[in-house]
Amino acid sequence: MLGAAPKAGVPPPPPAGRRGRFHAPGDAATEPASMWPVLEGLLASVQRPARYVGGEHNQVVRPWSAAETRWLLCYPDTYEVGQPNQGIQLLYEVLAAQPTALAERAYAPWVDLEEVMREHGLPTFSLETHRPLWAFDVFAVTLPHELGHTNLLTLLDLGGVALHGEQRAPEDPIVLVGGHAAFNPEPLAPFVDAVALGDGEEVTVEIDAVVRAFKQRVYADGGAPTPADRDELLEQLARIPGVYVPALYAPAYHADGRLRRTVPVQPGVPPVVAKRTVQDLESVPLPRRQLVPLTETVHERFSVEIFRGCTRGCRFCQAGMITRPVRERRGDTIRELVEQGVADTGYGEVGLLSLSSADHSQILPLAKGLADTYAGTTTSLSLPSTRVDAFTLGLADELARNGRRTGLTFAPEAGSERMRAVINKQVSEEDLLRTAETAFAQGWRHLKLYFMVGLPTETDEDVLAIAELAVRVLRLARRHGKGNRLTLSVAGFVPKPHTPFQWAVQDPPEELRRKLSLIRHAIKEHRAITVRTNDPEDGVIEGLLARGDRRVAAVVERAWQLGARFDGWQEQPTLPLWRQALADTGLELDWYVARERDLDEALPWDHLDTGLERSWLWEDWLDAQQAQSLEDCRFTGCYDCGVCPGLDLTHDLGVQPPGGAGHG
Amino acid sequence: MAECPPTATGVTRPALHRLRIRYTKLGRTRFVSARDLGAVFERSLRRAALPIAYSEGFTPHPKVSFPDALPVGTASTGEYAELTFTAPPDLEGDPARLSAALPEGMDVLIAVGVPEGTPKLARLLPAALWELAWPPVDAAELTPLLSRRAKALLAADRAEVTRHRPDGDRILDVRPALLAVVASTRRVPDADDRTVLRAVLRNDGPTVRPSDLVSALARGDVAPPPTIVRVVQGEVLPTGVRDALGGEVEPLVIDVDAEAA
Repeated sequence: MLGAAPKAGVPPPPPAGRRGRFHAPGDAATEPASMWPVLEGLLASVQRPARYVGGEHNQVVRPWSAAETRWLLCYPDTYEVGQPNQGIQLLYEVLAAQPTALAERAYAPWVDLEEVMREHGLPTFSLETHRPLWAFDVFAVTLPHELGHTNLLTLLDLGGVALHGEQRAPEDPIVLVGGHAAFNPEPLAPFVDAVALGDGEEVTVEIDAVVRAFKQRVYADGGAPTPADRDELLEQLARIPGVYVPALYAPAYHADGRLRRTVPVQPGVPPVVAKRTVQDLESVPLPRRQLVPLTETVHERFSVEIFRGCTRGCRFCQAGMITRPVRERRGDTIRELVEQGVADTGYGEVGLLSLSSADHSQILPLAKGLADTYAGTTTSLSLPSTRVDAFTLGLADELARNGRRTGLTFAPEAGSERMRAVINKQVSEEDLLRTAETAFAQGWRHLKLYFMVGLPTETDEDVLAIAELAVRVLRLARRHGKGNRLTLSVAGFVPKPHTPFQWAVQDPPEELRRKLSLIRHAIKEHRAITVRTNDPEDGVIEGLLARGDRRVAAVVERAWQLGARFDGWQEQPTLPLWRQALADTGLELDWYVARERDLDEALPWDHLDTGLERSWLWEDWLDAQQAQSLEDCRFTGCYDCGVCPGLDLTHDLGVQPPGGAGHG
Repeated sequence: MAECPPTATGVTRPALHRLRIRYTKLGRTRFVSARDLGAVFERSLRRAALPIAYSEGFTPHPKVSFPDALPVGTASTGEYAELTFTAPPDLEGDPARLSAALPEGMDVLIAVGVPEGTPKLARLLPAALWELAWPPVDAAELTPLLSRRAKALLAADRAEVTRHRPDGDRILDVRPALLAVVASTRRVPDADDRTVLRAVLRNDGPTVRPSDLVSALARGDVAPPPTIVRVVQGEVLPTGVRDALGGEVEPLVIDVDAEAA
């Protein structure tokens, strides 16, 4: 073959234990080679190569030798899913503001690139400068859900870092995880060195300071760390509030397999690790310089988190439980972030993000003000909201001034009044119908309603109530336009840790399938209703990992060995691999997902403290089973969930809502 | 602001200002797909605070149009686009202002206003000059081999190749689109010589890509060239291709010593 390029070799990583010089701070000679020249030649053979090239507006590139600590921030899914993640972008800016730190980003290679990387010995690389994972000091991975766990193993394995923390070399990166799914990190315990619980803004800076001081000491005078040094670093990290180091804790089990407790294995380690909370969101008005991708991503907009935390108290909602209390960003700050961000990024859409955006105490003046600012321009505003009421509709009208009135989304979550009381989603059928009617009367053409099936205490009557409600809404819709449509999105419920439903049974896929077919059957003559459902099997892996204990780590590793990747993707039907992995490791799926726990059983996340009192969660679970609902403590007074006094926090609303009666 | 006379419906619309640009797509940006290019331009124009015009209707789109799609992974110094503004963008003398807002690797080389009645941009781009460069190995053998095959190809009436696609193979004739092809050896100081192929392919008619030309010439014993560049597009001359916007002629036969000079 004439004209063939000499095979572009990737320099093999130095053996573990001999990589110290690449970590030594401040020496240009220690710069690891960029993988770009090799990667560039291979990109022609993979799908969507723009995922891997970097070069985005607002990326930060700092010289390797100028940094004392080097972080690789990672979202363990494809670039187009992970790039818009606000947490990563926020920490990217927090670290960029540290004069001695360097932060780059990595995402999971799609399966085609993974194959090419293995063939050519290409390691997990950073997007900005394509440097190898093994050369970084901290590999910080956000776990927004459970379905990136196998991708984390792929990234470590490709990146030249041992899968098991105990096998890592002293100079290897510290594998740090955070994000919502990190509130039960036990199924990943052997693979991660440290877990940051809760808000990352402050703890990241503290971790960076510990790593920096450690490096200054061990790399002084041409030295390199020893295994004892690494152990000491882990102990130092465990002393930072909010940081959990799994290796310093051990689970103990009853003879019947139930967990007895998880306890520290050495003195000086806190028995319970409490999450971190940024009390004043105004202190971190970030991310400000948001990254603008060169290829299509799942959310293309300038996003501002308008508040953090939620006290609506939906019992299925892990995010609402683990992020309390409510802390609002002030209207002026939001406006300033939006105006500066739109000009800086060139985005044509603004997203006002939170767990329930219509609940911001100043949302109406804020939305009106922004709608005025961008009136007559092509910049549009979006407000993800799950609330179903007239107020939200008024808001949606305000935001749609500039754009289209096509689709409006509400999330009643359950079909019957009883079921909504069980899950504490407080909206009456009357309200819902009135809101829907008003929406169609005002010119909205298409309503999307989100529901769940498989909820605790659910009967077929509750399931059919979803279909009945949909048909009633459709009748209203048709009064205002023959073409008006309705979409039902129905998902299977997966119980999550740190929620009142953490003790509940998860419906098996065949039961979900039966319930979904009840709905489909009941509405089949209404062609203007579209039903969207996930594969009922989708929730199985998620459920196993959500409430799994440390023994489940063996299943994760085995499933990964068998080829499980991108478990949340339709293109990757990995459930058979997980079933095989469960068989190979001798663990029983139903024991983890389809078994009701009682109050006495220790849970794998009991030593991780979100501030919620376990006794309060249990009472709320009992209330749920009696269909007793609970008001929002922002408006009606404290019901002692435990977060504010326990973590010495308070709600932070810019303005107290008058009379505690909501926004009306 | 200049205004058009009222239309038949009585609505007064601001006069639109059209601008045509030649730009590069090099480095990392060669992996940006044609599908993503519109959004990249839209955001860059917004960042530069240029008064981009939008289409009317339910979902307004920025008035940025591209005459064709460059294959993903192919580099270019000869990309063209037409941008429409609601006010004079003042870019003709200062294309760097837009370059600064575009991603690294994308630079505006030429910007010219479009007087009324000018033919469509695509009609000004009947052909493209492509450059295919091999690594600095085997040039002494490879250049004469490709030269012979290039001459034979030009002398032939038909040249069928198979294009492999995920949805099935397709056979096509590259000959009708091929206007000229020359292989030469480029001397680079302090490095080994490399073989370079320059070819002129018609843009109108059935699409023939440079990779199809490679299929016709390589015949299984020549490695595919790692870099393919669309150098320029415009009118075909006996000596090369004339840039449709700048007017300069890019020669088909490269001056082998130019790089050394």
